[in-house]
Amino acid sequence: MLKYFFIRLLSAIPVLFLVILITFILVRLAPGGPFDQERAAPPAVLANLNKQYHLDDPVVVQFKDYLVNLLRGDFGPSFKYPTRTVTEIILTGLPPTLELGLYALLFAMFVGISTGVMAGLKPNSAQDYIPMTIAMIGICLPSFVLGPLLILGFGIGLEWFPVSGWGDSPGDKVLPAITLGAAYAAYIARLTRGGMLDVMSQDYIRTARAKGLSPARIVGLHALRGALAPVVAFAGPAAAGLLSGSFVVETIYQIPGLGRFYLQAAFNRDYTMILGTTIFFATLIILFNFISDVIQAWINPKLRQSLSK
Amino acid sequence: MFFKSAISLQELNQYEQGRSLSEDAFNRLKKNKFALFGLIYLSVMIVLAVFAPLLAPYAYDAQDLSLGATPPSLAHWMGTDIFGRDQLTRILHGSRVSLMVGFVATAVALLIGVLWGTIAGYSGGKTDAIMMRIVDVLYALPFTIFIILLTVVFGRSIFLLFLAIGAVEWLTMARIVRGQVMALRQQEFIEAAVSMGLSRWQIMSRHLIPNILGPIIVYTTLTIPSVILLESFLSFLGLGIQPPASSWGSLISYGVETIEEYPWLLIFPSLFLSVTLFALNFLGDGLRDAFDPRSSKD
Amino acid sequence: MQKTKLVLTLLFTCAAVCTLISGCSKNELTNVEYGNQNQILFVANADEPQALDPHITTGEPDFHVISSLFEGLTRLNGETLAPEPATAASWVISDDKLTYTFTLRDNAAWSDGEPVTAEDFVWSWRRALTPALGNLYAYMMYYVKNAEAYNTGEITDFDLVGIHALDAKTLEVTLASPTPFFLQLLDHHSYYPLPRATIEKHGDFDSRVSSWTLPENIVSNGAFKLSSWEINKLIAVDKNPHYWNAEHIKLEGVRFLPINDKQAEERAFRSGQVHLTYSPQMAIEKIATYKKEAPELLRVTQTYSNYYYLINHTRKPFDDVRVRKALAYSIDRTSLVENILKGGEVPAYTFVPADKQGHKPVAHFSENVALAKQLLAEAGFPNGEGFPSFEILYNTDDNHRKVALAIQQMWRQNLGIEANLLNQEWKVYLDSQTSLNFDVARRGWVADYLDPSNFYELLLSYGGNSNTGWVNTAYDKVVEDARLESDHLKRMALFEQANKIIADEMPVIPIYFMTDLNLVRSNVKNWYDNVMHRHHFNDVYLETEAN
Repeated sequence: MLKYFFIRLLSAIPVLFLVILITFILVRLAPGGPFDQERAAPPAVLANLNKQYHLDDPVVVQFKDYLVNLLRGDFGPSFKYPTRTVTEIILTGLPPTLELGLYALLFAMFVGISTGVMAGLKPNSAQDYIPMTIAMIGICLPSFVLGPLLILGFGIGLEWFPVSGWGDSPGDKVLPAITLGAAYAAYIARLTRGGMLDVMSQDYIRTARAKGLSPARIVGLHALRGALAPVVAFAGPAAAGLLSGSFVVETIYQIPGLGRFYLQAAFNRDYTMILGTTIFFATLIILFNFISDVIQAWINPKLRQSLSK
Repeated sequence: MFFKSAISLQELNQYEQGRSLSEDAFNRLKKNKFALFGLIYLSVMIVLAVFAPLLAPYAYDAQDLSLGATPPSLAHWMGTDIFGRDQLTRILHGSRVSLMVGFVATAVALLIGVLWGTIAGYSGGKTDAIMMRIVDVLYALPFTIFIILLTVVFGRSIFLLFLAIGAVEWLTMARIVRGQVMALRQQEFIEAAVSMGLSRWQIMSRHLIPNILGPIIVYTTLTIPSVILLESFLSFLGLGIQPPASSWGSLISYGVETIEEYPWLLIFPSLFLSVTLFALNFLGDGLRDAFDPRSSKD
Repeated sequence: MQKTKLVLTLLFTCAAVCTLISGCSKNELTNVEYGNQNQILFVANADEPQALDPHITTGEPDFHVISSLFEGLTRLNGETLAPEPATAASWVISDDKLTYTFTLRDNAAWSDGEPVTAEDFVWSWRRALTPALGNLYAYMMYYVKNAEAYNTGEITDFDLVGIHALDAKTLEVTLASPTPFFLQLLDHHSYYPLPRATIEKHGDFDSRVSSWTLPENIVSNGAFKLSSWEINKLIAVDKNPHYWNAEHIKLEGVRFLPINDKQAEERAFRSGQVHLTYSPQMAIEKIATYKKEAPELLRVTQTYSNYYYLINHTRKPFDDVRVRKALAYSIDRTSLVENILKGGEVPAYTFVPADKQGHKPVAHFSENVALAKQLLAEAGFPNGEGFPSFEILYNTDDNHRKVALAIQQMWRQNLGIEANLLNQEWKVYLDSQTSLNFDVARRGWVADYLDPSNFYELLLSYGGNSNTGWVNTAYDKVVEDARLESDHLKRMALFEQANKIIADEMPVIPIYFMTDLNLVRSNVKNWYDNVMHRHHFNDVYLETEAN
């Protein structure tokens, strides 16, 4: 079992290498360069710029240099923000993005699982329909709609929460977390409900019921474990999606996070920044997928056995 | 986890006969009022979309600049946008793009995702490892750059849109399916099927996939609306549809800019998307129950 | 069910906590309230600056911050845009208008107390022109003798460049040709003095990557100094006590919030997070609302800029002047401006806007659908028959989309020709333009300085900024002559000639002159609207009940 996870972790290295290689090729194939602007720069100036950033070297050499620097922990300078290094920008943008993602995930998990369990216990009743309908609104209203609606309602209208900002006042993290987490809450609610329906019809649950166990115990001790399997499989990608997909929410609420840089870097053709953020998010995605695999194995005894064989 | 440990081989064989499965399923589906509503609504919506050019009261790109944005009225049931274009017409035309993208791209994602996940999960070992690491790589690539490149290299076409969306949406599906299959493949009835000498393909298609239909259907019904919305982001990047053509996603994203001034520009397209989503979910639940190998006995 | 009850209880607890939290935050001061109490101006500043090194950055939001930190020889008056003495106390211009001799203020000082010297300017301008630095705005200095040659590496001896320190406080600048707007240029960030000692301490002087602009390192000579710089969150500048005119600076500080979303910007303004919005545009649909409900907060200013459609002359049938004219004559600019843009934009029938300096370009054409149809027929496309379908290229943006949609419809209705819309992401769009891979493309231009040459030089066949493939030697000649002409009236006459050639040849289609739309709270005083969208914070103050 341990060996399996060790190999799994090792396999992250070739995955990361491939991600870097493909991204490196992709960004250079994309039309437009980092120094293109509306007013054309004199060719001599452009040549100097390319020289300073070694963009005039053969691409293979550039790639090799990039890898060598990377191994030293150097992501290089940003092209768009020339006086800053990519490492510096990632480190400043990371805490808000992580925090936002964490709150959003907690919100999504809490609302999603509780709604799903409620609905799954009494399928096709009011207890099913009402919470699920509310949860589904999270999907109907994408973050770019939900965000402004929440701001207009709770920010400008009721003045309960600030309309933007991050860490300036205690309430300014509530709306962003809900906006980002809402869609995921709905997904999780659906997956949980589906899982509950499957599990509740299992023989062992019936046995437990026949034994006279209270519904809370049945859910807590037996049903949840099985019902959450699809949720756990979804949680890895969801966590990664929450982190790398937070740019819309970060823009609406003006949060100084990494998501904005991730998207903007692509538009700016900020080569080093694209690579830096991609590597960073790739690592996170691999990590989250790995963790969700571990949890999946953990909640499934059969799977655990097969892995340890 | 979705197995029945006491399932008999006779029952197993029964499922292999596709006729009884789908027929039973449809009969069960008919009894579910919500699912039936979903089915009817979606059918009506598809008919509306197909015949949109005939049904729409105006031309989708006919402007009346001096009219501008007006609230719903008798002449324009859902109001007009700032170009004085009829909102109902634009929603109807938009449904063509949105439903097509929603269904086709999701189908692509479903096909690749389920196959990939099933094969990886059932094969296990090295095959599984390599297949899932490929998924990891694709997850991690910068999507925006990928899309920009697609538009530049291949120009614009609706098929590219399907490809681009399918390329990202199948990944999560593959992960979910794989997780389920891994859980199932150690079960007695699969082992029984193996001992009966069924081929891997038969086992996957007849025993594994039917048993994980639940999560697949749930995830599929959730994917369709997100795909419909993703289209608006891709159109924003220059891929997909170009103005004056419309889609629900683009109508919603333009509508959100004028929430306070012209709320009807956001409300109506959102309403269409939402009702479609609910219909899909009702149908999805219905299908899930209908295809559930156990539900006939419950 | 117990579980259900538990869940419900938890949900209610959560809601209660939320309400509690919000209850607390309600009592806090908004930025504007805090700012009013402390003479601190909160500004919504379009985007996170790329850099605060004036020789490296190219972004507009960056200059807003930089102009508060640094000061050039002159400063443009906020109301009139006339160059006024700043770090230079006075200057003498030679009769041939080629040599400028500046005398610096005795009390001009850096924020560390060191005096600003003529040598500081020489060193800074040398850095700005150093080829290896790759300053994308170096062309702004090409009016100085030999500056272009040095910047492009033709000469390596900086002594040949027309800038010399005669003594600690006297600076002599020699120009390549008489440049009537040179004093204006001196308030451009390329010409600002930079702190040599600080820059050299934190890296090579020609290195782009340097930490000298960080708050803990930077030394500047303007009215404010940098106090903090949190990426994507806030830039704070506070009054610089060593500034030569510090006693007349009323603001204690300025806070720049990088809000890069127009909707978010308007919401920030409405909820009291900023005193004013400094980005040139605002959410279009909010214009009408403000006009109706709070007209005193909305500032609409026509700027020295234009918005036009490029035509690709290398593609048929756009090489035919009749086709180009037909396209230009059949756009209903008034309807476009009033019904779609709504921001007080002005319909354009000339390429260059009129200015107060004396250039009043004559409108040689107007909307004329009948004539447009006739021209199109003469070109071989009666009623648009046989006209190939073509594309209008624009970069992804709400305004550009709206303009293109309206024009598409006008061309279809008036001429019977079919244009498709093509939006591309910014860098792809730039690439398409430079490689002439388009039919018709939108373009907007905001002048760097107040002179018609700004615009006319765009269409020079060899300038690299025409992007149309249009070559007209007569036009090139007229614009070159204007550059060398020192007599004001003759120069204006040459510009009018250029204007006539544009109207005759229609290399591009002028559409409208842009406006700046800003929201400014009424207690912000001395914040002047001007055609260059240039503001200094020197005179600005916040009026409160106390004063």
